[in-house]
Amino acid sequence: MSSVPAATAPPAVPEAAAAGAAGRGRPPRHRPGRGPLHRTERIWGRIFIAPPVIGFALFALAPLIFSFYASFTHWNGLSAPLFSGLTNFRTMAGDAQFWQSLWNTAFMMLGIPIGLAISLALALALNRRIPARGAFRVIYYLPGVSSVAAISILWQWALNGDFGLVNQMLSMVGIEGPNWLAEKMWVKPALIIMGVWKGIGFSTLLYLAALQSVPRTLLEAAMLDGAGAWRRFLHVTVPMLSPVTFFLVVTGIIGGAQMFAEINIMTPTGGPEFGSATIVWYIWQQGFQNLKLGYATAMSLVLGLMIFAVTAVQFYLNSRNVFTVE
Amino acid sequence: MRRRRFLTGAAAAAGAAATAGAATGCGNLQSGDPNTLTFMFRGSTEERDVFSRAVELFQEREGISVDIISTSADQYATKLQTAILGGRTPDVFYFDASMATAYMTNGVLADITPYVEATELPVDDIWQAGVDLYRFDGDQRGQGPIYGMPKDLGPFSFGYNKTLFEERGVEPPDPDVPLDWDEFLDRCARLTGDRAGTGTTDTWGTSVNIGAEIHSYLWSNGADWLDEDLRTVTVDTPEFIEALQYVVDLREVHGVTPSINDTEGLDGYQRWLRGQIGFFPVAPWDLTLYRTLDFEFDLCPYPAGSTGTPATFIGSLGIGVSASSATPDRAAELAMFLACDPDAQAIIVGEGQTIPNTRTHAAEWVQDTSVEPQNKQEYIDIVEDYGRFVPDMLTYTPEWLNAFHTDLQPVLEGRRDVAEYLAATQPVMQGFLDAGHEQFRIDQEANS
Repeated sequence: MSSVPAATAPPAVPEAAAAGAAGRGRPPRHRPGRGPLHRTERIWGRIFIAPPVIGFALFALAPLIFSFYASFTHWNGLSAPLFSGLTNFRTMAGDAQFWQSLWNTAFMMLGIPIGLAISLALALALNRRIPARGAFRVIYYLPGVSSVAAISILWQWALNGDFGLVNQMLSMVGIEGPNWLAEKMWVKPALIIMGVWKGIGFSTLLYLAALQSVPRTLLEAAMLDGAGAWRRFLHVTVPMLSPVTFFLVVTGIIGGAQMFAEINIMTPTGGPEFGSATIVWYIWQQGFQNLKLGYATAMSLVLGLMIFAVTAVQFYLNSRNVFTVE
Repeated sequence: MRRRRFLTGAAAAAGAAATAGAATGCGNLQSGDPNTLTFMFRGSTEERDVFSRAVELFQEREGISVDIISTSADQYATKLQTAILGGRTPDVFYFDASMATAYMTNGVLADITPYVEATELPVDDIWQAGVDLYRFDGDQRGQGPIYGMPKDLGPFSFGYNKTLFEERGVEPPDPDVPLDWDEFLDRCARLTGDRAGTGTTDTWGTSVNIGAEIHSYLWSNGADWLDEDLRTVTVDTPEFIEALQYVVDLREVHGVTPSINDTEGLDGYQRWLRGQIGFFPVAPWDLTLYRTLDFEFDLCPYPAGSTGTPATFIGSLGIGVSASSATPDRAAELAMFLACDPDAQAIIVGEGQTIPNTRTHAAEWVQDTSVEPQNKQEYIDIVEDYGRFVPDMLTYTPEWLNAFHTDLQPVLEGRRDVAEYLAATQPVMQGFLDAGHEQFRIDQEANS
């Protein structure tokens, strides 16, 4: 006899299983949907989840496993990989251009806080009742939907040392602009300016949506407590925008770490004194130009781990500073 | 069990789908049909049109279907590399001469020597240097079996703007005797000036594209990039230093080339097209465009340094046959057809994209004075006499030469001492050269 009354036992549980569970002194687990009545649903459920699971296995998991293996090989992309142990990682540690390109990539991420500050200011402006507000929103968003290649060529002209638009504007205020893309000192700032210009529309749009969802009750409560406009912005609006800021920082860092097309078009040799070579550009160069796919894979793996670690830290910090209205 | 069966079935279905997709999709880079060849090449729109017409002629003559895959030059290398990686190398394809050693060593290219020896096409009439460039004995280039046909040889000749010389009253260069560096500088100085009378310089003696033209200056001065064995970087020799200093001084001391800012605004090539440059390279692939310009031009030898002999480089693309081609005989026939068949060459050369690939055709071609340049013999002299291959075409990877250019900008702007730069760069380049050789050694052993 089962210790569970027959009336309460799930009808789909086979008796033998129920008896076994009783024998171990535990009540049988309630497992909804295990019976023959749900069999068809189970099959269909599996069919529906199969495409993404198979897709993930084929196009993400399998390449990841292979990449892991390839990073420990001497592989030129023309013939089979040869296991080489930690050689690629040792080479990486002593490769000045690897560290330089990593530094360049990190430096160019200075554009993220700059872009966020400008985006927030723009969003605050566009959140007010100003004439042609819709037109401004479209104009600021346009670079975000334009091709990276087209934007890069455009900025290559704009940053031209002699006739470029940027230097022409600077000369109007008496500043002699540098040769942006040909000088080591200026090539990274030039790319940062371009990156900020390109990304500002998307960030502004998200900030605008977040601003419009800041509860008015909180702002009114702060006002009643005597908070001025600046304090309301600092202590109510900014904290309420933190989830969007967090999202933009995370995606900005991940995107910034993958910067490639702009570099390859605007400074195809990695810039003056390797000053604009990003890590992904360098990985591509090593893999496809210099037949070092094994080494390139090892660098990709390290880059992936770095992005993972930075993102994990960001999630941890964000979890301690989250602001929500319960 | 049911779960396992389901997963097994799903994996099998996915595998079948992937296989089917691979077999039918992605442009079918390698044909399974013995009567169909795939030919992958690159070039400008005009060049692609010209070679497509030559391929049509081959199809008519041989009764074989050829699937053409063509891309722009900047996408080609990555596309070919991806095809090779995926085990779907086209039957016949262009390849960069600097990648040839890697392709030969790793079994990407087929040895086509038996087909070359058996063909009735005039392969023996192709420039010897062109055929030898694609020979490889497993250790060194230039000897051993043939792994490719030269698609062309590209003599990077020097030229001059005849109209500008006349306007400035400067004596044109002799087509047979090279100027020495002092004479060259003197003429450049007389060509540099204010043609429009606006108070600013708007014509220059020359404009140096350092990546392409430095070879001429250093070779003619007795310097070279590497020693004869291609194992030691020799950029720190006095001859090399003198040659690079001369090029830097053309701009920084004598002002006979556009400044960095000038070239940023409108590079030397664009200024040449506008008739503002006196001396400038005139390569065969530029002729179609140059013939449309509103000034006259002709060829002349590069100025010669201390050796008294001019020098310049010869470019080349190879046409190779995939080692995994199901029909290597037919594929080799197509490669040879494009390289030397008289009718195919007539189509290709007729459009002004290249000089003839065969000596007989070239001898007729130089006699034709109806189209510019008049002094076509200069191209032939380069191929037969004073042209060389840049050694990065012969080493395993070109990384060592890229390292030369990485930090060069301050030197060209006169902000860094030439000798100090070359002394500091030599070990860096040597490191890359050694690493490339080590890579070659490993691949050689793996594929032996």
